[in-house]
Amino acid sequence: MSELDPPVMSSLRATADDPVTYAQAWKAKRGKQVIGSFPMNFPSEIVHAAGALPVIVQESRTPITEGRNLLAEFYCGYTRSVADQAAVGELDVFDGFVAADHCVQLLGAVDVIRWARPEKPVHFAQFTSAMDDPWTKPRVAGRVHELKHEIEGVVGATITDAALAHSIRVFNTNRRLLRKLYDLRRTGRARITASDMQVLVKSSMVMDIEEHNAALSHLLDRLDSHADAPDDLVRLHLSGHFCHAPRPEVLDVIEESGVIVVDDDLYTGFRYISTDVPEHGDPLAALSEWYLDRNDNAPCPTRVTVGVDWDTYLIDSLEKSRSNGVVVLMAKFCEPHMLYYPELRKALDARGIPLLLLETEHEGNPVETLRTKIETFVERIRRQPAPVPS
Amino acid sequence: MPIEQTSKEKARRLSSTRVGGKMVADYWENIFTAKERGKHVVWYNGAALNPLFQAAGLEWCHGEAFAARLAAQHLEGPAQAAGAEYGYIGELCSYARTHLGCAVLTHQSAAERETGVVGMVDQQELASKLPAPDFFVNGYAGCSTGQQWDAMTYRVFDRKLPLFNVSIPMLWGNKPDAGYMRGEEWDEVGKYVEEQLRELIAFLEHQTGRPFDWDALSESMSYIKRASELRLEGMALCTQAPTPATYWDWVASIAPINFLPGNQGLVDYFAGVKAELEQRVAEGVSAVADERYRVYFDGIMNWNKLGFLTRKFAEYDVAVVAGRYTHESFWQEPQLIDVDNPLRGMAQHYLLCPLNHGLKNLQELLLRRLDEYSIDGIAFHSTRTCRAMTNPQTMLARAAESERGVKSFFFEGDVADASFYNDELFDSRLEAMLEAIDVQRMKSVG
Amino acid sequence: MGVDLGSTTAKAAVVDESGALVGSSVVQMGAVSREAVARAMDGALAAAGVSQADIRRTISTGYGRKLVPGTDRTFTEITCHARGAAALHPGVRLVIDIGGQDSKAIIVDDDGLVERFAMNDRCASGTGRFFDVLARALEVDVSAVGELALAGSETLEVSSMCATFAETEVISLLAQGRERADIAASVHKAVAARTLGLVAQVGKATPTVMTGGVAKNPAARLHVSRALGHPVEILDQPQIAGAYGAGLLARDDYAGGSGSPAPSDAATEEQVQVSLSAGTPHCQDCDGSPGHPHPGTGEPVPLELQRNIR
Repeated sequence: MSELDPPVMSSLRATADDPVTYAQAWKAKRGKQVIGSFPMNFPSEIVHAAGALPVIVQESRTPITEGRNLLAEFYCGYTRSVADQAAVGELDVFDGFVAADHCVQLLGAVDVIRWARPEKPVHFAQFTSAMDDPWTKPRVAGRVHELKHEIEGVVGATITDAALAHSIRVFNTNRRLLRKLYDLRRTGRARITASDMQVLVKSSMVMDIEEHNAALSHLLDRLDSHADAPDDLVRLHLSGHFCHAPRPEVLDVIEESGVIVVDDDLYTGFRYISTDVPEHGDPLAALSEWYLDRNDNAPCPTRVTVGVDWDTYLIDSLEKSRSNGVVVLMAKFCEPHMLYYPELRKALDARGIPLLLLETEHEGNPVETLRTKIETFVERIRRQPAPVPS
Repeated sequence: MPIEQTSKEKARRLSSTRVGGKMVADYWENIFTAKERGKHVVWYNGAALNPLFQAAGLEWCHGEAFAARLAAQHLEGPAQAAGAEYGYIGELCSYARTHLGCAVLTHQSAAERETGVVGMVDQQELASKLPAPDFFVNGYAGCSTGQQWDAMTYRVFDRKLPLFNVSIPMLWGNKPDAGYMRGEEWDEVGKYVEEQLRELIAFLEHQTGRPFDWDALSESMSYIKRASELRLEGMALCTQAPTPATYWDWVASIAPINFLPGNQGLVDYFAGVKAELEQRVAEGVSAVADERYRVYFDGIMNWNKLGFLTRKFAEYDVAVVAGRYTHESFWQEPQLIDVDNPLRGMAQHYLLCPLNHGLKNLQELLLRRLDEYSIDGIAFHSTRTCRAMTNPQTMLARAAESERGVKSFFFEGDVADASFYNDELFDSRLEAMLEAIDVQRMKSVG
Repeated sequence: MGVDLGSTTAKAAVVDESGALVGSSVVQMGAVSREAVARAMDGALAAAGVSQADIRRTISTGYGRKLVPGTDRTFTEITCHARGAAALHPGVRLVIDIGGQDSKAIIVDDDGLVERFAMNDRCASGTGRFFDVLARALEVDVSAVGELALAGSETLEVSSMCATFAETEVISLLAQGRERADIAASVHKAVAARTLGLVAQVGKATPTVMTGGVAKNPAARLHVSRALGHPVEILDQPQIAGAYGAGLLARDDYAGGSGSPAPSDAATEEQVQVSLSAGTPHCQDCDGSPGHPHPGTGEPVPLELQRNIR
């Protein structure tokens, strides 16, 4: 059971489940613009500094209809949903769209937006995915400058350094508050279910950041951190699932099987909040710095680097959270995940760390099959005498 | 349509392409022994960086090309099985999956191979014959998987070998002046990629311990430029009806233009192809016995089904005359190459990969080809594991219909995994499109 | 007693103190059915010559494991198939179960316990469904497709991705006048190819056995052997492996012996109940009041689908 204040959670959940309605209400109230961005590296601070609402476009629960004719079936749930939302008008609330990540199927979906709504401003500022080269940072800095001008144009406002520095501080606060909640969960001082944690992060992606900070502060104030962590449940780390949030029913079935999720490196999870933007120096430059730092802190298989490895990072996380095993949540058709998965498996197998692969589908996850897999995994882990060997 | 008529009569493949086939076979046979001959081997995918490798005195191994070769010879099984055992899931790009399977096989010791793929010894030998790499170079436009691919091969080889990245930006077209080979962004990215090629050259010098041979680069690029011109001149002959060659003949010519060394042999090959085409035109020999429909093929090549599709379309009197994969790629704008200073033109070609354009540019290119080749219909290969290629397809189909009244059909298949292809659906959909074209023709006559 | 309530069959097995299989029963059914499971349980008791009162512990498995009356605990069919196969064929390392709706590949350790497993994904099939489709299209009984396939050559190409696609291909091959035996052989080959993909996820190992209904099909065994490159050993009663495994686990549980997961006390049980997420529980005999006693008292309880009993 969650110990987080129910009315606040309820409000955050409503926003996380239906960001479009929230954005419409925000627009009506403030009379300002809403800019839609795409996962995973776009710096929302820029939009905030212009006085607009930055929203990371989410997968919608609307069953896909028209989108079927625009992108083929073998695309990840997120991209199919984006294409469908564009076609049926669910994205019309946005005054413009921005993207920084090069995932080829995501760009396919964004091109659907350009095709379906040709009058909407759409800007792709390609942040280089190869992280180690000396020419990457200047290239990214150039894209960040481009984004600034583009957003200024769409919003009709100038982004000053002071405004950007302020936005950075506000977003850093948000990340810090969320990290605190992660820490409480990891150390067992608070019981936060996986789906509730997702609500917290996802709502941060789509709502007014100052409102969200207030909600988080409120939750933390009311939270009774105590030291009695349940020690008979199997402690698991959820890994993967880039770009879009795993369906709550998937998270729930995991925690219904004698499991407590103690940590994750999901996008709608720790990946989103792992790294703060530097608060000193030129704020625009700080955003490029953040892009590079982020991958050092939480390596992402969508980036190309030999400097850090996702598997090493994951093993370190497991030690910190004293996890007994990893559930790899892989969105079906997610290419970067499929590419890196064997390396992850190899590294975890070498350490004897139990691993369960769950491929999630966009529409209709067979819950009973998931349950069988999780239960078998738990049965197996319980035979092991100790948690993760270090 | 008479089913009994053998397809051998209907599909007349070019004979000159067999020369290229032999050149390519010799190329692979040769490279398999690279390590024994004490050569430095570079593994790469995507962009045709080979002239740079050639000038650096390296032997080069294009992973995708090898994966395509295995699939075309129906020998991809062991590589894919090795990849599956390593952990690659079947929905991953089958080019990557196949090649990474080859990497796994090459990397494993002979003893370990026993516990992996068994039963098809000869085939296994081919899939595991790639010489071990000394380093990796990634230069891949358009597809994000391609950009991550070599970093994965690097990990298959235990993270011990150097990896160099040439980051090729997407030609997304943010600015209003953006278009095919024009606009402010086009000028800027060409320069950006060229600068990285210079960095790559410094890296190659460091790896080989030899100064880069700029003269050799100019020389090989002048051959490649000439070969490309001949290829394009040959393609231009196919704008007439009936066409003397089909898309399948151009597919057979991909390997030479994609990675064979730039030399006289390459020029001779394409001169031979062009000569055969001119001869056919002069003698009135058409590539398809009774060309009644001209079709454009959009999508990556379905390598497992090469011969099969060649015969299949011909049976229906369909001449597939051009396609995105062959015509919007492979040194297709040779006028950009200044042989004395080839790097800018090379950089620009790497950007002009058929996967690297946004929808708007692809639409422009498609309509241009529809007009140029007098196309009646489009076959869209909905390539299961290649999302880079399939991204724009449904919208291109609509554009073709609305802008030119050109019909299309979609069929499911894949680049290197035969299990995704469905034959029954192919036939009924192709027939449906041809019937629609017939109706259209009747209407325009009456 | 072990009860395996699967998607197309209900199986029950009675096991004695020494772990020997003394009676079993298999009942075909349309879907997960309480009637069928009752008949299976009765059938196993009759075959063993005992009555319900003689049963000391019951463990159920399979999709319908929460529907089995009188169950003390449940385990997944993966754990049970592994245990049963290891008992039927000591020393086994790889267990392949091709069931009606799903397939599993299980790597088993010396004690018959699960080390690694993989289950087929939705689209990547290779399940018993293929053979149902094949039988219907060829107008033979599903029990006869194996023999038919053995008589044919597997050179025809059948798309192995999806049972529906495969059906259209089978029909088209029939329309082309192809031999039914060849079609049958080719479908078997296609299923074996998918099975190989599943095995790749856990790694090949020998000895290998097949469990489940499809294991009785000689052509399926042949083609899977060919795909794997090594023999697939035969079990006497492959379909019973899951129920037998459950029965063995029941025996272990009763004896408090090794091989079963650590038993838990009532306090821990209660904590598990408390910590379950707020997803809707369906408690059959709960009157809705917070003070309603929780299970874990050691008595058999009626089960319902969504709540987990460890």
